[in-house]
Amino acid sequence: MAENIIKTEGLNYVYSEGTPYEHRAISDVNIEIEKGSFVGLIGHTGSGKSTLIQHLNGLLKPTAGKIFIDGEDLWANPKDIRRFRFKVGLVFQYPEHQLFEETVRRDIAFGPKNMGLSDEEVEARVLEAAKHTGLTEDYLEKSPFELSGGEKRRVAIAGVLAMRPEVLILDEPTAGLDPKGREFILSEIKAYHEKTGATIILVSHSMEDVARFASHVLIMNHSKVAMFGKTREIFKRVDELCEIGLEVPQISRVFAKLREKGIDVPESVLTVAEAKEAMLKLLDKGGNSDA
Amino acid sequence: MLKDITFGQYFPGDSIIHRLDPRMKLVLIIAYIVLLFVADGLFSLLIGVAMVALFYALSKLPWKLVIKCIKPIMPIILFTAVLNIFFVEGDPIFEWKFISVSGKGVLTAVLMCIRIICLIAGSSLLTYTTTPIALTDGLERLLKPLQKIKVPVHELSMMMTIALRFIPTLIDETQKIMAAQKARGADMESGNLIQRAKALIPILIPLFVSAFRRADELALAMECRCYHGGEGRTRMKQLKMTAKDLFAALFVALGFATVILMNMYGPEVFRL
Repeated sequence: MAENIIKTEGLNYVYSEGTPYEHRAISDVNIEIEKGSFVGLIGHTGSGKSTLIQHLNGLLKPTAGKIFIDGEDLWANPKDIRRFRFKVGLVFQYPEHQLFEETVRRDIAFGPKNMGLSDEEVEARVLEAAKHTGLTEDYLEKSPFELSGGEKRRVAIAGVLAMRPEVLILDEPTAGLDPKGREFILSEIKAYHEKTGATIILVSHSMEDVARFASHVLIMNHSKVAMFGKTREIFKRVDELCEIGLEVPQISRVFAKLREKGIDVPESVLTVAEAKEAMLKLLDKGGNSDA
Repeated sequence: MLKDITFGQYFPGDSIIHRLDPRMKLVLIIAYIVLLFVADGLFSLLIGVAMVALFYALSKLPWKLVIKCIKPIMPIILFTAVLNIFFVEGDPIFEWKFISVSGKGVLTAVLMCIRIICLIAGSSLLTYTTTPIALTDGLERLLKPLQKIKVPVHELSMMMTIALRFIPTLIDETQKIMAAQKARGADMESGNLIQRAKALIPILIPLFVSAFRRADELALAMECRCYHGGEGRTRMKQLKMTAKDLFAALFVALGFATVILMNMYGPEVFRL
């Protein structure tokens, strides 16, 4: 059993308690996330995804319940909360809106500087983070405001990566990007995951993306955890997912239909590449029996 | 922090107070404020207190909202009270060295405090129960006569509508940016004044950038829908005075009349 890096116990959060706008955003969330896993977090708008991830680095204080990061109680000492923010890096939706410095270099350096690192260390981390996000040296001296949308987003993600977080949480990092930009960001995240062994939580609306990258899937529905488990196991539960109003990857649906029709294909096919393999195997088998 | 500001905030509901015509509410609140200052004795002022209490009861809002709106002006109330107690001259009831307190001073202080509390409670009730849009709508209609003397009433009210409309959006945006910078380790809670002011830069710059972007987008969106100012513009929601508005007006008028009568013939105790 690998260690759990994140553990929550009976997590609850209520917005604007005691006003007519009172709203329970998450209720009774108990999850354990293994170190080094890649978790896809899925749910409808307003299902509590964003609220949940803001708890994991101590931006929101739970109304009830506890959070443990690496076995340490997050709110044991509220004065010490910043330490966890460096450990759990959070990239918000549309992170490019947070850029403020005169140059890209200084903006990426904001996080590491807040950590109190030496100038050399900060510089090294900026360069490393820029490399991770495919920003070349000549970007570093530009103003972040003269870059394109996709480039700005890469700068913003680099700003979080520069803190070398052990857990990286990204809230829909590909929203509003063109296909090329999406692909680029996702492969960056995957590369960071593989290179550093960091735990990743990716909030996404795209089942295809989650199926391709995530080892585990966490599904939120009506402020509760609806399902949590290995990606393959979760996407087998096609009917339950449909009930929540979520879809499985298109290719998984095609294969589920094929099985219904009595064709002997594997139960869980997540990506087109796997589908191709399965089809070839099937055709091969078929060819053999005919002969 | 930011979400604790209640002044000017709207609390949805479906009470009779919520459904009053915004124009009537505006006129009545002005009348009510005048009433508070016309009342010159404790008993006539208590009528004002009773009126605002009744309005709150009718609005079905939680009572703690009253406390919430008064809390921020507590220093002003205390300051006024202290000033009045020590500086209003009259027959001294208490003397010590150079300090003298007169009965008249104490009475003035009490009356002033009640006035201020009622004033804030009353005008907060207006914003608690009226959407900002309805409020500016009502204001525009009330100010319409000023158009004759070339006051750009429509433009002013459009500016106010937009400003009010974007307050929650900007608060939202501020909170998002604050959260994002905190996630990068920004420290806004500690340090001396200069450090704290500096810590605001990472929040203010993105906020200004986004405010300008929003302004641009809004201007474009309005032009796309052929907005060209107030001339010949009709409204989707027509304001209509109904029986309950008339009733509310009668009620306030009754209160006003009672206060005036109390001023003229009421008991002579606790009077200025």
